[in-house]
Amino acid sequence: MLQLRDLTRRFGDITAVDGVSFDVSDGQLTGFVGGNGAGKTTTMRMVMGVLARDEGTILWNGAPVTVHDQRRFGYMPEERGLYPKQPVLDQLAYLGELHGMTGRDARRSIMEQLERFGLADRAKDRVEKLSLGNQQRVQIIAALIAEPAALILDEPFSGLDPDAVDSMTDILREHTVRGIPVLFSSHQLDLVQRLCDRLTIMARGRVVASGTVSELQAGGPTRYKLTLGGDAGWVRDARHGVHVVDVDGPTALVEIVQEGTEQPLLEEAMARGPVREFARVIPALSEIYREVTA
Amino acid sequence: MSTRQPAWAVVMRREVVAKVTDKSFVVGTLVTLALIVGMLGLQVYLSDRTKSYDVVATASSRVMADDVAHSATAADDKVRVTVRTVPDDAAARAAVHGGDADAWLHESDGAWVVTGRTQVPDALRTAAEQAVRTAVLADNAAAAGTTVEALERGSTVTVTQLVGDKDRTDLAKAVGFAMAFLFYLAAIGFGLTLAGSVVEEKQSRIVEIIAAAIPIRQLLLGKVLGNSILALAQMCLYAAVGLVGLSFTSLGGLLPGITGPIVWFVGFFAVGFLAVACLYAAAGALASRSEDLQNTSMPMTMGLVIVFLGAMLATGQWQVVLSYVPPFSAILMPSRMLQGGVPLWEPLVALAGLVAFCAVAIVVGERIYRRSLLKTGGRVSFRAAWSAAD
Repeated sequence: MLQLRDLTRRFGDITAVDGVSFDVSDGQLTGFVGGNGAGKTTTMRMVMGVLARDEGTILWNGAPVTVHDQRRFGYMPEERGLYPKQPVLDQLAYLGELHGMTGRDARRSIMEQLERFGLADRAKDRVEKLSLGNQQRVQIIAALIAEPAALILDEPFSGLDPDAVDSMTDILREHTVRGIPVLFSSHQLDLVQRLCDRLTIMARGRVVASGTVSELQAGGPTRYKLTLGGDAGWVRDARHGVHVVDVDGPTALVEIVQEGTEQPLLEEAMARGPVREFARVIPALSEIYREVTA
Repeated sequence: MSTRQPAWAVVMRREVVAKVTDKSFVVGTLVTLALIVGMLGLQVYLSDRTKSYDVVATASSRVMADDVAHSATAADDKVRVTVRTVPDDAAARAAVHGGDADAWLHESDGAWVVTGRTQVPDALRTAAEQAVRTAVLADNAAAAGTTVEALERGSTVTVTQLVGDKDRTDLAKAVGFAMAFLFYLAAIGFGLTLAGSVVEEKQSRIVEIIAAAIPIRQLLLGKVLGNSILALAQMCLYAAVGLVGLSFTSLGGLLPGITGPIVWFVGFFAVGFLAVACLYAAAGALASRSEDLQNTSMPMTMGLVIVFLGAMLATGQWQVVLSYVPPFSAILMPSRMLQGGVPLWEPLVALAGLVAFCAVAIVVGERIYRRSLLKTGGRVSFRAAWSAAD
């Protein structure tokens, strides 16, 4: 279990990460969402120890994280980078050996991974000869070689085609099943919603929301969609303690400020004519995101 | 490889393997070797070649022409002059013009003239001057009732030197220059490649993966050691081929005297290059893209030019003083040793100074490298890197 507590990092006058706290639990896939410059990459770099933190602590299984712990985390940095001119296998073996593996173990583990990604026949090719999608696959293998104790992945899904997204998902799941915490950042909210057990949303260096998807949805505004037989324009003038978000022909979207105030509205609607639909609207993650980062 | 190695050794091995499997590095090394062998071969060829000249003369000039031939061979035993007698001036002129003879010796208005087609070879000209001078002096001396020996008594100057001999001094200068030039080329060549590979790692962000796996200090150590070993191996290869080649030339007899200083030179080079490599690594880390590299490595490259030129131009007292001052000492002390007459304590003191300089360079280079390696998005200034937090 990885716990971030009040992490802060400044670059000159800019506070890139400002008192960030959240948990990445064992066996869970935690999504990390936020716009460009929100501080996700800086936070991940601090977790990996490649960037020093100005304030705050990182706990690993309850104790302050050590360099030794961090060396056992698998890491995929935001911008993809490998030696373009070195063959895939040699390069990954080099990274494995830097993680303290013997050359033989590293090569065996790499060949297994390459086979899984259908890249075994490319092992001797130079990285620059691979397609971008395949380079990305090699990159994720780099994070997985040394049986990582945690995975910190910065935008692992960017640039992947749908098939590759699926195999990447399988791999992440495989590691959460193994019981390790996995943190990954992404811009693709639908993907995060589909995959993640929990998510943390950052904006301007701060955590603005954190929890499971349903927790975040429950914390959002309560909205109802009302579809009538006739024009819904009268809803604007109705005074039932509801806030009208939008009216479009026979449809109105209202937000309930206080639980129960939707009932008088429904009664009035039924009195005025047929009601085709009256339903609770569960906000999409993208809406919640827009709201909390606004 | 089934045993676990320290991180710096893994990095070092990659640096070496990547370089020796790089075609341009291998080709460059082979071309340089070919140049060294070629230069020495040319030297052997030129010094062993017998130059022969044909001189034509009419019967009246035959005696003087034979004197010229003797004089030419006496001055240089690799020169042979063949004299041919022709019936008249017109035939002589035609022989020279047609390329059958190199020169035509004749007398005109009481003075001796050597005529060539487009030029008269230096060896012939000198021999002619010498022979004519001797003959005419003898005649004139006899006319004045004395001898040439009497006239010339006490007028000769013999050149000697207290330290070494002339051949050795010339060789020392040539070898010193060659070694200094190799140092300069290797330092700039390997230095820039090292800086380039640092910025490549930084630009491709693989450095983040590496930094997450091992301490940055180990990465620097591995890279610097790997490149230093390669530079030193290349230097030793050049020196060995050069020395073996030299043993085939007429200067081979001087080899025992210069081998010691060349070994010293390799030692100085090893320490000097370590300093250069650390500073170039720092220059690479200050850049964010390879385009910035020219900017950030400029001070280093300028510094090396100054050291090279300074070491070449310094003479006399300056040379002695600078041969203790690092980094000039890396070139100048072995150069002075090549000329001979340097007691052992001098290179030891200079080497100690260079080691101290190297230690400072390592500390400075390591600090700059560590603090700027993960800073992307533009060039990092030296000052910002020096005072930055980790």
